[in-house]
Amino acid sequence: MKQMRRVAIANRGEVAVRIIRACEELGLETVLLHSDVDIHSRAYRLATKKICIGPASTALSYLNIEANVSAALAAGADAVHPGFGFLSENADFAEQCEKHGLIFIGPSSDSIRKLGDKVSFKILAKTAGLPLIPGYEGTDQSVENLLKQVEIIGLPVIVKAAAGGGGRGMKLIRNMQDAQSHIESAQREALSAFGSSKVFLEKYLESAKHIEFQIFGDSTGQVVHLFDRECSVQRRHQKIIEEATSPSLSEDLRRKMGEVACTIAALGKYKNAGTVEFLLQDNRFYLLEVNTRLQVEHPVTEEVLGVDLVKMQILTAQGNFLFNAHDIRMPRGHSIECRVYAENPYQAGMPSTGKLGLVHWPEGPRRRFEYGFESGDMITPHYDPMIAKVIVWDETRRRAIDKMLRTLKDSTVFGVYTNIPYLIEILNHDEFRSGKMTTRFIETHFADGLVSKINEDQVKSWALLVSKGLRLQQANSLAASSKVSPGMAGSPWCTHWRGI
Amino acid sequence: MANSVKIEVNGSEKIVTAEVIDKKIWFKIDDQIFSYDRIDLATGNYKKSKNSGKSPDRILAPMPGKVTKVFVSENQSVKIGEALLVMEAMKMEYTLKAEMAGIVEKIFSKVSDQVSLGFLLVQLKENK
Repeated sequence: MKQMRRVAIANRGEVAVRIIRACEELGLETVLLHSDVDIHSRAYRLATKKICIGPASTALSYLNIEANVSAALAAGADAVHPGFGFLSENADFAEQCEKHGLIFIGPSSDSIRKLGDKVSFKILAKTAGLPLIPGYEGTDQSVENLLKQVEIIGLPVIVKAAAGGGGRGMKLIRNMQDAQSHIESAQREALSAFGSSKVFLEKYLESAKHIEFQIFGDSTGQVVHLFDRECSVQRRHQKIIEEATSPSLSEDLRRKMGEVACTIAALGKYKNAGTVEFLLQDNRFYLLEVNTRLQVEHPVTEEVLGVDLVKMQILTAQGNFLFNAHDIRMPRGHSIECRVYAENPYQAGMPSTGKLGLVHWPEGPRRRFEYGFESGDMITPHYDPMIAKVIVWDETRRRAIDKMLRTLKDSTVFGVYTNIPYLIEILNHDEFRSGKMTTRFIETHFADGLVSKINEDQVKSWALLVSKGLRLQQANSLAASSKVSPGMAGSPWCTHWRGI
Repeated sequence: MANSVKIEVNGSEKIVTAEVIDKKIWFKIDDQIFSYDRIDLATGNYKKSKNSGKSPDRILAPMPGKVTKVFVSENQSVKIGEALLVMEAMKMEYTLKAEMAGIVEKIFSKVSDQVSLGFLLVQLKENK
């Protein structure tokens, strides 16, 4: 067993808090590697030690490999937990940690390279005969060959510039008559925009669901899956609501997808926690990518299975975790997670920053709040807008949705706007409640954000009433204090009178 | 600190949680949270927050963040809806567009400038 005494956390916000809690429960000390602006955060207050690794800009702090490694070493840490985002999927970071004798709490740098890199992952999956989104990436770029490939793949097909991104040189082919002109125009655009006319072909999935499997490789290299999550509610590829398990999988599909997830992970000699992402359409599934790290939405898996993935990660990194036959668990009930973003839903999701006032999360059975900031903390424009996650569990999906609705309505955040009203609208939407939503759900139903039913004049008149109320309260309290004469403190007249 | 006050909303009395944070008052009525520029009770006016001095010729930063792209240059004419510049905050991009046709009189920011809320980025003028 590898000796671990102090864990460095190369992250911030709610996930840093999550890791600190797991370390505390395992009797480990923590070192928070933070940027200068993050001294106003819950993780900063909770960590045993803290070291500033640089200024707010992520390139100079949270993405700076050298600063993170040297700070971890300077603080006497023997392990590093990268959380998610930032350097968590960076093979060079994992390698630098390994080189300097720091235990990287995650897969090996070799596994990250094999599975995290999109090209290498595709080759690995293709060689093993696993289902990828059908497509053509070959070198024969003649229009005749490309037309033949379109027919093999099956319509609709999307043509993408190989060197591109951001939608340029991208064309959607819906019928064979238009195929040739679309391919040629995509090649022209690709050439003028990126200097290369090379294009890819890929089957276009119009109504796919995003399904993913939590995988876990124990200390001995045994890989199992811990069932599935569905994250179809996304906006511009950013997940908003996740749940476990998916309401869309038959037992047969679940078993098949789980097997594929374990196969690809085993091929990458995967140890520790990871996620295999799929798209599902018309009961056919396609491998999308592997996330070689803990996932933002890991709590929903923890809730339905009764496990602690972060502790499992730490124990595995210590060489002290293996699955036994009695560890085989079946998911129970349903869990939902909502990501709370600091943005104004009434202004098309404009980022909102500022000092937090009252922050209230309404505790209750099987309600879980993962948050990184409290009253008095600053939400800055430098980082991701996610300020908290609300997770609930209940016996059925319907009850979990209703529990989430009540919990969100009773949550209060003052000081920045949040997407809570937006989340409430989504949870109330028939398509979401039926479980039929696809990755197009948000753009179809909520493309323009929300429109407030209450106009500005109404808000102003209420604000005036509330301001008056607050002032009156202060004035009364001050006035009352001045009327208490010495020796009168116990008089019922006085105490009654003061209770205005 | 947040406090509770009683106010009348649509004819019924409600207990409302409220807090003044910097230049705004925040309060929650039923399940909805509102904020408004702080009202000066003595004059009945409220302090205008920085971006309320908005007019189509003054392009102000709608949020604190970084300028990542500037599409126009001074003395150039612009159409309604033409993209002027892009800002980024919290890893999200926001494109600022012209709400009037005219000429770019002055640009007050350049790429990678960090600007605060309400900062005057571009001054437009009418094309005569």
